[in-house]
Amino acid sequence: MRRNDGSGRATAALAVPGLAFVLIPLVALAVRAPWSDAASELTGPAARAALLVSAEVSMGATALSLLAGLPIAWMLARTPLRARAAVRAIVMLPMVLPPIVAGVGLLEALGRFGLLGGLLARAGITLPFTTAGATVAAAFVAMPFLVLSLESGLRALNPRLESAAHTLGASRLYALQHVTLPLLRPHLFAGIALAWARALGEFGATITFAGNLQGRTQTLPLAVFETLQTDPGGAVLLSVVMLVVAAIVLGLTGGRLIAESAR
Amino acid sequence: MRRALAATFFAAVLLTACSSIPGARREIVVLAASSLASVLPQAGAVFEQTHPGTAIRFSFGPSSGLATQIQNGAPVDVFASASERWMDAVASKPGIEDRTIFARNRLIVIVPVQNALGLAKFEDIAWDNVRLVLASEGVPSGDYARSALRRAGIYDAAIANLVSNEFDDQAVVQKVAARAADAGIVYATDTSLSDVPPVKAIPIPDRVNLVTPYSVAIVSGSSQSALAREFIAYLLGPGRSILTKAGFLAPE
Repeated sequence: MRRNDGSGRATAALAVPGLAFVLIPLVALAVRAPWSDAASELTGPAARAALLVSAEVSMGATALSLLAGLPIAWMLARTPLRARAAVRAIVMLPMVLPPIVAGVGLLEALGRFGLLGGLLARAGITLPFTTAGATVAAAFVAMPFLVLSLESGLRALNPRLESAAHTLGASRLYALQHVTLPLLRPHLFAGIALAWARALGEFGATITFAGNLQGRTQTLPLAVFETLQTDPGGAVLLSVVMLVVAAIVLGLTGGRLIAESAR
Repeated sequence: MRRALAATFFAAVLLTACSSIPGARREIVVLAASSLASVLPQAGAVFEQTHPGTAIRFSFGPSSGLATQIQNGAPVDVFASASERWMDAVASKPGIEDRTIFARNRLIVIVPVQNALGLAKFEDIAWDNVRLVLASEGVPSGDYARSALRRAGIYDAAIANLVSNEFDDQAVVQKVAARAADAGIVYATDTSLSDVPPVKAIPIPDRVNLVTPYSVAIVSGSSQSALAREFIAYLLGPGRSILTKAGFLAPE
């Protein structure tokens, strides 16, 4: 319902500072970017390599988070669990930890001489300094976003709808496909968009665990930081690229769906 | 839960806002190469003791990144650079005074104490199976390391072994200490820290090694140039013993 008593306008006025807070730095990037150098900077091998590595790492990390996170969300939402709060806290920890701490932890766990390093080596898996390692680092910090979105989606979903489907003769799989998943979809997409966005922006865990090598582990944020040391203009241009990529993906999928799932 | 998170957040913001202590002390900000991070705070502490009412604040990073910060208007009184290139950059913008070389350094190879590959000399880092980390190009220690590799004629083979370009020499030490990498090239002084992670040094022969100068200067626009000048004089005088004890070479 629309209200015309002016409180809407007052709310809007109060929201302006917050919106400006978010928008001004983004506008500054676009305004201060040395556009005349854009062609040479952005088509250079470093920028292209970083874009490709970022695409591979962020999508891989999202897929990994989904695979590992869906069962956790299901357990949190659907099974009687005495330690639910503790499990949820564990799942959320990577959101709160400084990413560098996450990187150190990953190194001590999955590094060549880490707790599970020998096991991985025997399986022929090397993570530190590899694209796979950068993907694991990004997944570590991105997974909580997926789990939380999916859990809230599963909670909001009325289990009676599934029971009704069963009563009407639907198999478990049929009910999952035709009842549960369609209802869950907005939350699923919102979780995917949030996890992907977090993975795209990952910096600290990546540099600590996977290092920084062009074409292998140098993602866009690492490229921005490295460029910033010697070529601030180039760093601003790369930042604009990140901004555009993130805006396109969120605009196409996330924004609408996140709003939908929050409704 | 959400309310608790919000409360924690605001408490953190308040703490951050309160942490700058006001006072009538004279204070200078020194931006210095990360290879100086182990010694300059000691020198600063002694200086503060012998010069009551003063405070020396340090910020360490790669000389390249610090020079860029200064050029973008970071409030700074003194810049201590690990290379002439980045001091030149600051000299051209925003300008410097009293530029002096106050120490010199040289490079070494570092390996984990376990040294599982049995690396024994500089050229061994070009072996096929070595995972090598260097500081990025542009970072002084990274540029010097690449020069040394070229002089030894092992540049291509060593760069083929490169698994990461770290943002400063301290990060190279950490990667080797954590045994994530098999070898790195850093300054000789990077292993002389008292609380250093366990790494072993392999010398780089003089004929390919570089003796690299550190210069210090007052940055134009400093509002405490008198204190800045005193601190630089201290580094060149009584403070020199702290630098040499940490393995730095005398200016000449």
